[in-house]
Amino acid sequence: MTVARYTTTHGAVPLGARSVLAIGFATAIGLVAFLWPFFAAPESTLVAHAGDAPFIFALLVPVVLLVVLAQFADGAMDAKSVALLGVLSAVIAALRPLGAGVAGIEPIWAVLILGGFALGPGFGFVLGAVSLFASALITGGIGPWLPFQMIAAAWIGLGAGLLARLPAVRRLAPAHPWREVLVLAGYAAVASFAYGFALNLWFWPFTADLAPQIAFTAGAPLAENLLAWLRFNVVTSLGFDLPRAVLAAGLIVVAGRGVLIALRRASRRAAFDVPVDFAPAYVREGDVRR
Amino acid sequence: MIEFENVTIRYRADQPPIIENLDLTIEEGEFILVVGATGSGKSTLLGAINGLVPHFTGGILNGDVRIDQRSTSVHRPRDLADVVGIVPQDPLSSFVTDTVEEELAYTMECLGIPPDVMRRRVEETLDLLGLEELRHRPLRSLSGGQRQRAAIGAVLTAHPRVLVLDEPTSALDPGAAEEVLAALHRLVHDIGVTVVLAEHRLERVVQYADRIVSLGAPESPGSRGTEITIGEPEAIMSTAPIAPAVVHLARVAGWERTPITVREARRQASSLRQLLIGHVPPVRAVSDAGAVAALSDVTVRYGALPALRSVSVTINQGDVIALMGRNGAGKSTLLHSLVGHQKPASGSIDVAGIDPSTLSGPDLVHRVGLVPQEPADLLEASTVAEECAASDRDAQCEPGTTRALLALLAPEVVDTTHPRDLSEGQRLLLVLCIVLAARPSLICLDEPTRGLDYATKERLTRVVTDLAEAGHAVVLATHDVELAAEVASRVVIVADGEVVADGPTSAVITSSPMFAPQVAKVLAPQPWLTVEQVRRALEQDTA
Amino acid sequence: MTVRHAPARVRTRSVGNLRNVDDTRWLHPVAWWCWALGLAVAASTTTNPLLLIGLITVAAVVVDRRKPDAPWARSFEFFIRLAVIIVLFRLLAQIIFVAPMGTTMLIDMPGVTLPSWLAGIRLGGALMLEPALQALYEGLRLAAIIVAIGAASSLASPSRLLKSVPAAVYEIGVSVVVATTFLPQLASDVARVRANRRLRGRRDIGLRGVSGTVMPVLHGAMDRSIALAAAMDSRGYGRVANVSSAQRRLTALLLVVGLIAATLGTYGLLGTGSATWWGPALLIIGLCCALASVVLSGRRNVRTRYRPNAWKVADVGTVASGAAAASLFLAASAINGAGMNPATSPPTWPTVPILALLGLLAAIIPAFITPPPPATVAPSGREVRA
Repeated sequence: MTVARYTTTHGAVPLGARSVLAIGFATAIGLVAFLWPFFAAPESTLVAHAGDAPFIFALLVPVVLLVVLAQFADGAMDAKSVALLGVLSAVIAALRPLGAGVAGIEPIWAVLILGGFALGPGFGFVLGAVSLFASALITGGIGPWLPFQMIAAAWIGLGAGLLARLPAVRRLAPAHPWREVLVLAGYAAVASFAYGFALNLWFWPFTADLAPQIAFTAGAPLAENLLAWLRFNVVTSLGFDLPRAVLAAGLIVVAGRGVLIALRRASRRAAFDVPVDFAPAYVREGDVRR
Repeated sequence: MIEFENVTIRYRADQPPIIENLDLTIEEGEFILVVGATGSGKSTLLGAINGLVPHFTGGILNGDVRIDQRSTSVHRPRDLADVVGIVPQDPLSSFVTDTVEEELAYTMECLGIPPDVMRRRVEETLDLLGLEELRHRPLRSLSGGQRQRAAIGAVLTAHPRVLVLDEPTSALDPGAAEEVLAALHRLVHDIGVTVVLAEHRLERVVQYADRIVSLGAPESPGSRGTEITIGEPEAIMSTAPIAPAVVHLARVAGWERTPITVREARRQASSLRQLLIGHVPPVRAVSDAGAVAALSDVTVRYGALPALRSVSVTINQGDVIALMGRNGAGKSTLLHSLVGHQKPASGSIDVAGIDPSTLSGPDLVHRVGLVPQEPADLLEASTVAEECAASDRDAQCEPGTTRALLALLAPEVVDTTHPRDLSEGQRLLLVLCIVLAARPSLICLDEPTRGLDYATKERLTRVVTDLAEAGHAVVLATHDVELAAEVASRVVIVADGEVVADGPTSAVITSSPMFAPQVAKVLAPQPWLTVEQVRRALEQDTA
Repeated sequence: MTVRHAPARVRTRSVGNLRNVDDTRWLHPVAWWCWALGLAVAASTTTNPLLLIGLITVAAVVVDRRKPDAPWARSFEFFIRLAVIIVLFRLLAQIIFVAPMGTTMLIDMPGVTLPSWLAGIRLGGALMLEPALQALYEGLRLAAIIVAIGAASSLASPSRLLKSVPAAVYEIGVSVVVATTFLPQLASDVARVRANRRLRGRRDIGLRGVSGTVMPVLHGAMDRSIALAAAMDSRGYGRVANVSSAQRRLTALLLVVGLIAATLGTYGLLGTGSATWWGPALLIIGLCCALASVVLSGRRNVRTRYRPNAWKVADVGTVASGAAAASLFLAASAINGAGMNPATSPPTWPTVPILALLGLLAAIIPAFITPPPPATVAPSGREVRA
């Protein structure tokens, strides 16, 4: 008579139906939070309050993140995931001040992407959100930009985890560890640029009175605004985005293999996917029981 | 209280069982000691008590484990938290919160205990374990013994009926170890808690045990499980290969009753003392060859606090020096200044004629090597083979040197293992090989016997003796009195940053009850240090 | 068994005719955050530089009087510096990027037109007073909002904030607690490993040296997290209450409905016509449903809190003062729009509307009615090695 048999989690934080749903809707809302300058109609509510819109979203996004994280926390996060999450968040929080705010020197993206890659998309999402929150809390850097940073980092972590699930990428490990690292470095570079551009979107509406070629014009056609935004990016933050991308990709190339080995070893020792089985006692033939 | 009914445990279906067909019943209020070599299944046994094995680690458990009539097949570890409290080997890594008081309350928070009950229990536990003045202290600032007691308190607030501890005294100096064991003794006898304790350092603990569970080492990989013997301390100790020094002494002297404490041994030792009158224990000669290193009047400060005050020590070729003293007395600081990590505020340090803090790279490792307290700090490769290859390159010696050394010291280590997956003892030996590859004239080891079983300690002892004979100087910082008695030619005792004793082993450690080995205490006032010495003397008699 | 109370440092202060405050305790962190949010809302309603500077001063005074002696509380200086940088940056961007308009010239500077492949933007040109003033006001507004939030960062203890985490995200709160506890350990690990790396005989410089330090630290951190997880499991972490399946279905339903409504509402904000009213409405309804489901799912948590944060008179008073400041500013901007947003062309000297002044006075009340924070205990000497 088998008393109990089960397999523990699949990946560090498994993605159940509710979590997937929550992430989906949160992504939809988050996209609006970032991309509204392009798609808001001229007479819409957002354009009417264009100066306040970033703060409205700064209040909306945390609520949405709270809802998503609550879905993860409900039953999907056991002590192992929580401990790993806490420790990796501490590592990321420790790395954050290393750049000393110098243009784009942020070593945290390498760790986040490697963490999401090795430990699953659900874990990557939560790691992105929680590590940025924890680092802001610890270093006292909470501001209206934080919700946008949190959700952007969460997406980056989620993307890294989904990247690991792609069949083409799964075939790479363990036969071609270097190709795996290169794929990750490529993802890191793209993600760093995307992060920089996306975060520029947060305060771009504040620049409505700058030169029209780079400023936000409420209600202008999509193509015009898009072009203006690209120019704004090139002019203001390329100096941040380029170093960020280079550092992230560089760190992954240099240390990625070792870090992946460490994370995968941790995942193995945490026995996330190992079956647990209880079976009745047996006596081997020919034995004399003590 | 605890029942193991024909329990077999394996971690993966295709692996041989770690524990096989174990039947064990532990009554309420018993003090059980679990002994066994590394890899013999001690942690598995302890983990199975509250269900960590297999719920946390994965695996297959045949049979039934019951705590207070609750079976672990049905109850997960979190459900058993109000009955069993586990104190892990490294308490610092198990702390969730910042301060002592909050850590004490954390378990009760998880169990949903009402706040007023929590307040009351926190106060009681602080009193019981002597932690009242420490309640607001950050956990990281506590000493080793205080940390251990805080960890015990953290699980005790849930009022468990069973307490399971994994090597609680391995990192503690004798004084702190006494505090912890006294607290456990009080818990067992005053409150009736059942205690299951795993420990390597038997001499401190065996006197408290009601029964001993002895796990023999597996003869070879793939053999069936381990031999498990359960019985009263005297019965087990009379035949166990792993035993404290008094037991080995009893076997050598042929006593009928096996003593397990110094007091019992002394009562039977008068005839032995008579026999040994006229024999002189061989004194390990203090080397008078050239000096390898010297500290002259060295003062080291961390900020405003002096860690070493006007310390002067000379280390000669072929010396094996045991550096002993309380935790925080300055032993590690002394070793770190020998390798040049600390520049002294005054005085001079001299290793092979040069100040070590000016050395770096290969120059440093050819002169002095240190195996730090945390040997894994030096490991960074993903396999043992890579690590050895890197070590050969760093030491600028023949490729293959380190691997050959490792094959001598730890022949069972496989090339493809991840260095972090090795046992504590094997890691220590690997790092020792890395240090030895450069053939430095001075070798320092910081607390090498922490968490080591007897077999590995034997190997370490042999290595150190061989090194001394080859002309190297070895300095060991250790709490382990027995090791010092075995291997050291000189003992330096450090207290509060100053050297309070420096002389030949037999002179220094027999004079102090704190640092005397068991054999010395039994045969006092005769200056015998080890069982081996006594055995040789008796053989001379019969020869 | 005598129950001892927590040690209280008796500190008496008499400030004019206000009552003496003894007994130090931590104010409820959510109270500080509500107060800060009130100030931020107040700052967002106005561009009057006098009022904005007044808000910044209020925040600075409260922080100075009620800041505890802990490392995380020193971040307020960073926020002040950031505020100054924002104002300067805004001014600079205005000077460099905006074509000159307005009537009063301050400085005449040469301008350069970028080539057409960079969109022909004109850089520089004469510095005019009116647009400079506008940039200054805008920059001040953003700076005031950021300083208000920074004040809460320095006043509200993060560890006590984590105690007030809602039950539904308890696990996340625990992981943040683990992160804050582990961080100093990590720092000392790095220092120790760096010192010990010398023993490998390697001249560790540059990136290889960093990698040699990072790997042992990372491995140690991973091993520690497994040990921590085992300890937490053994201590009862993760116990859940028996929630009826009806309640679970209700929670799931509320979640799905809430998320769909919130998403539709958010997209409605982008649209025109009738979307301008059903957009925000749906959004708010959706958020309420989703939050309700979050609260319900928190019922599964059985854990209690040791010495929870208490809501006392001072805490409620702090929240009330923040709310009062926000409402007074909102009222002032409804009544006296010109005073709250002084015109820049032609430039007029800004005045201080009465209601807004009352709002400032309301905002500074917490500096006097709240108890001073307790002294934090410093570890004695260096970390003791076991």
